[in-house]
Amino acid sequence: MRLFWELAKLSFQRQLTYRAANLAGLGTNLFWGLLRAALLIALYGTRTEVAGISIQGAITYTGLTQAVITLYMMFGWYDVINSVNTGEVATDLLKPFNYFTFWMAQDLGRAFGGFLLRGVSIMAIYALIFKISLPTALDQWLALGIALILSWMVSFSWRFLVNLSAFWTPNARGIGRLAFTLSYFLSGFLMPLRFFPNWFVDLCNLTPFPSTVNTVVEIFLGVLQGPALIQALLGQILWICILVVASQLALRAGIRQLVIQGG
Amino acid sequence: MLSLYCRLIAIEIRAQLQYRVSFLFDFTGTALVIGVEFATLVLVLQRFQNIAGWSLAEVAFLYGMVQMAFGVMDMLFSGFDPGDFGQLVRRGTFDQLLLRPLSVTLQVMGSKFILRRLGRIFNGIAIFAWAVSSLSISWTGAKLVYLPIVFASLVAFYGGLFIIGSTITFWTVESVEVVNIFTYGGTEMMSYPMNIYQDWMRLFFTYIVPAIFLNYYPALYFLDKPDPFNFPYFVHFLAPLAGFGVMFLALKFWHFGIRHYQSTGT
Repeated sequence: MRLFWELAKLSFQRQLTYRAANLAGLGTNLFWGLLRAALLIALYGTRTEVAGISIQGAITYTGLTQAVITLYMMFGWYDVINSVNTGEVATDLLKPFNYFTFWMAQDLGRAFGGFLLRGVSIMAIYALIFKISLPTALDQWLALGIALILSWMVSFSWRFLVNLSAFWTPNARGIGRLAFTLSYFLSGFLMPLRFFPNWFVDLCNLTPFPSTVNTVVEIFLGVLQGPALIQALLGQILWICILVVASQLALRAGIRQLVIQGG
Repeated sequence: MLSLYCRLIAIEIRAQLQYRVSFLFDFTGTALVIGVEFATLVLVLQRFQNIAGWSLAEVAFLYGMVQMAFGVMDMLFSGFDPGDFGQLVRRGTFDQLLLRPLSVTLQVMGSKFILRRLGRIFNGIAIFAWAVSSLSISWTGAKLVYLPIVFASLVAFYGGLFIIGSTITFWTVESVEVVNIFTYGGTEMMSYPMNIYQDWMRLFFTYIVPAIFLNYYPALYFLDKPDPFNFPYFVHFLAPLAGFGVMFLALKFWHFGIRHYQSTGT
């Protein structure tokens, strides 16, 4: 357990080191957020509320989606694939530490660092530019905190599972690109899921992806409350169980398949 | 000169087609990224109907045009992709190009030709074709002539932005992520009608970066839509001036950069 926190701490510090890159990334996220906000304002037109989300909530949504990009590595995460391609995976597997937990610790540090630097600051800037909606009650903040941690766990175990494809095929990057595009499409990252037709939302809910962006956003905006909120949190836990078990099974099978390259 | 360029590109293409499965995955992946963004728009517009008075098909006209042009540029100017070009400078490999008795611009252009960009191009073509077929555009001879000119201007415009972004890395050495705001951000922005943006944003992309004349105004002309900003009528036809103007300035800056290039020494 000590080792877990040490790894997480190191990876957290690494994330904080790249100040210029973080600042540039923040600028890009902000610009993108403003574009999305303009689009949503134009879509709303004279309407003040659509599908339970006020215009103020919709603007807040555009900030939130930009804030969670680093947390979930929305556009793709290929670290395990890269370590297979370089052959580094061999030494990592020799370490007396569970391979899944080894990556989980590092991702925790990276995600937390990224969330503090990019996520919190973008919301702060948003609060200066726009009138944004914030959670009002203490239990809403509490639920948000829990949902954020669980959502990161869903995201990490999914990304890890996708990366394991490198144990079988040299085309894992291409598989990853398809898988990550699918996950951000169905997660509510591009538009709040409530805006989509019902059949599409039902389809999304068959996948783990709404448990990341959409759940966090809906709790933040206060549209998810009471039993529906508890159900969403339980949904996150269910997906974590499924994805973690799947990763462990895939890892066990994959190690027998793995061909170490490089040297 | 041209035959040499063709040979360099032919080698690039052959090399990429060696890994067939990998190419197929990359191609589908690239197509999917644009596909899901447009699909989102289609699905959400079922609820909202239009964007500030622009129907789905009209937005698709803007969207498809921009994606096609950016895709073609991204393939032709792959060597000038600021992220990759920054590596040439950082590693000092750029010095090698300077030693060869050949135009540096030609060598950079010929150094890369990323085939998977076809995914974006095909996607753009599909979206644009759908837009044109579902809108009843009153085509005239002038419109038919202007359409390819607008396309070429957009390619030149984006190419110019890539060249400017690459040239900056002569000084910064690091690749500058801020350039992405203009290239990828500009593409995203130009995919929607410009009247939805806040004034300061629109003014910036009118007077500093002349993006508005490359897609929005030509589209107003093709679709016979009124101009909400009451500019004089000729601004509908400024696309070639804006596009090739940016390219011209970019090449000037590029040559200036080469003259002042100091190797990193690695």
